[in-house]
Amino acid sequence: MARIELCDLNKSFGSVRAVKDINITIEDGEFVVFVGPSGCGKTTTLRMIAGFEDPTSGEIRIDGRIVNDLEPRDRGLGMVFQSHALFPHKSIAQNIEFGLRMKDVPAPERIQRVREVAEMMHITHLLDKMPAQCSGGESQRVALARTLVTNPSTFLLDEPLSSLDAKLRRELRAECGRLQEELKRTFIFVTHDQEEAMTLADRIVVMRSGEIEQVGSPMDIYSEPISYFVADFFGSPSMNLVAGEVVGDTDVVRFRSTHFDFALPEHFKKSKRGAATFGIRPEHVGVAFGGKGEIELPVRLVEPLGKDTLLYFDDGTERAFIAVSEGLEMADVKSGARITLSFDPRRLYLFDADGRRIGAATQF
Amino acid sequence: MTKSRSRRITAIIRYTVLTIWAIVAFFPIYWMISTSFKIDTQWFAWPPVYFPDPPTLSNYLNVWLGAQEYASTQYAISSQTPLVSLLNSTIIATTSTLLAVVFGAVIAYGVSRYKILSEARMFQLLMLRMIPPIVVVAPLSLYYSALGLLDTMFGLILIYFLTNLPYAVWMTKSFIDEVPREIEQAAEILGASRWRTIFEVVLPLIRSGLVATFLFILILTWSEYLLALILSKTNVATLPVELSKYQGTTEGKVYGRQAALAVGITVPLMIVGLIIRKHLARGFSFGMVRR
Ligand SMILES: Nc1ncnc2c1ncn2[C@@H]1O[C@H](COP(=O)(O)OP(=O)(O)OP(=O)(O)O)[C@@H](O)[C@H]1O
Ligand SMILES: [Mg+2]
Repeated sequence: MARIELCDLNKSFGSVRAVKDINITIEDGEFVVFVGPSGCGKTTTLRMIAGFEDPTSGEIRIDGRIVNDLEPRDRGLGMVFQSHALFPHKSIAQNIEFGLRMKDVPAPERIQRVREVAEMMHITHLLDKMPAQCSGGESQRVALARTLVTNPSTFLLDEPLSSLDAKLRRELRAECGRLQEELKRTFIFVTHDQEEAMTLADRIVVMRSGEIEQVGSPMDIYSEPISYFVADFFGSPSMNLVAGEVVGDTDVVRFRSTHFDFALPEHFKKSKRGAATFGIRPEHVGVAFGGKGEIELPVRLVEPLGKDTLLYFDDGTERAFIAVSEGLEMADVKSGARITLSFDPRRLYLFDADGRRIGAATQF
Repeated sequence: MTKSRSRRITAIIRYTVLTIWAIVAFFPIYWMISTSFKIDTQWFAWPPVYFPDPPTLSNYLNVWLGAQEYASTQYAISSQTPLVSLLNSTIIATTSTLLAVVFGAVIAYGVSRYKILSEARMFQLLMLRMIPPIVVVAPLSLYYSALGLLDTMFGLILIYFLTNLPYAVWMTKSFIDEVPREIEQAAEILGASRWRTIFEVVLPLIRSGLVATFLFILILTWSEYLLALILSKTNVATLPVELSKYQGTTEGKVYGRQAALAVGITVPLMIVGLIIRKHLARGFSFGMVRR
């Protein structure tokens, strides 16, 4: 059982404010992923929960008890480090056994537990090896096993997969998910990989320069981003974002930029006029030859991926305007061809000059 | 000039310099060994005798075993047998070095992790060691006689321990700095106390560095002369003190005997070095250890 509450948590390193006023409650058994760009304070937050950093101000509670002054080893947590942090001078079996030895578990039981956990993580064949003889993926499994064996109430994982190659990452990602379902423990997972966050999390905490930007389920975050930052961060290929302005009188409201000029859906009527960014995900852009649509753009590049085809359009900016079309229907389009694009009105986002979402369409 | 030619020339220069250096460095050692096997007429012979002919063990037997039949009256040395000095040196050097390394490592841990000493303090600590011993030896001997530490084994162990502690702190600190914090923190969150983390994780990880530090300080202590000379009288004479007695005594210069003793002083250090050579290479190049 572990319910972790962070209340007005702050951390400064000298004049650098690494974490600012973090407030969040992580429920027992929840899989929460902290995600954000490099330097946004994810590790610092995690290390404060673990007890390796003292908060500058604010409280950390585990099951209602304030743990600010508790040593890391008394918090009942387990942590997996980005660098694995295996003990290089101990065999894999000794590495896994370490936590049990520190808790004075008798030897026969230790051997038993090590074996169980090794089987669970599929690393029995590694037990006699040294960490230096293990691959990155194997080391990471060992690091997980070493934490697992102490039966912590909460797992803290700091970018545990970031040093692995793409295939291993997917494999171990699935493993983490499976583990959490089996153990029903609280998991706090830190990553800067949006895909990892989307696939693993019950709840995603998006961080940006020390602050929480948005908290929500992966679907919430994906379909209702509260800001330009979140919209841009999630999704691959990422959301099309075009800078321009919202114009029009009370009856008509239009979005206008150098290459775009189209009427916005009804619900934007009351939105503030002025500088804005228009956003739409590639899969919500309709493509057709001729026909009805908001705008016509020339194709720059066609990328058939089999299941889908990616179309890159020239919209006068560096970053191409991307549309995803299902199947290979569009695979033969030549670059330079002009194609009419339509925008799904329910999936169309506007962000104001500060990057805040305008006219969030919560009614859908 | 072509690239390969210039590389050849650099190689030639490099090997020439290294060879000269090796000769300069090793000749005294060769001369010491060679002299220790010479009969007395060849000690000062001119032109010099490079290879003892015939080689003799008499110097060794005389010096180390005090064999009377070899103690020809002319070269008899009126002092204790060097085996006692060997024992003294061994006990004093190993004990004080061990103490310095263990305490040094613990202090270094505090400096590295908790900044118990600032950079400036650390430097001052080392500066302390840079004071020439001759400067402090007179007041020190006054203290020692007042404290009754003069000519005691404890007194010598204490002074070597104290004077070498700064080295030990400096050297071990550089190794501890290399140990990733996360490895310690992993131990900590797995339930290890601070002391257990130090003794089960940090010290084993830097054991090569500790061994290198140990040897470095052992060499310093083993061959230290001045403090040993002033702070001891007859009870606890160490090997260097013993060796000096062969020089300028009324009996004249007994080079062969002295060389035999000198070889005996050198050999133990070489044996220690050989035993731990695996660690030395790693210890002195610790920064390159794979994390
Ligand atoms: N020990 C420290 N001393 C000084 N500044 C620090 C320290 N640790 C972190 N910082 C600063 O705090 C900020 C947040 O760092 P943090 O490591 O939490 O980022 P992060 O989100 O984990 O980034 P990354 O994805 O690169 O790991 C950064 O600006 C960093 O430079
Ligand atoms: Mg980090």
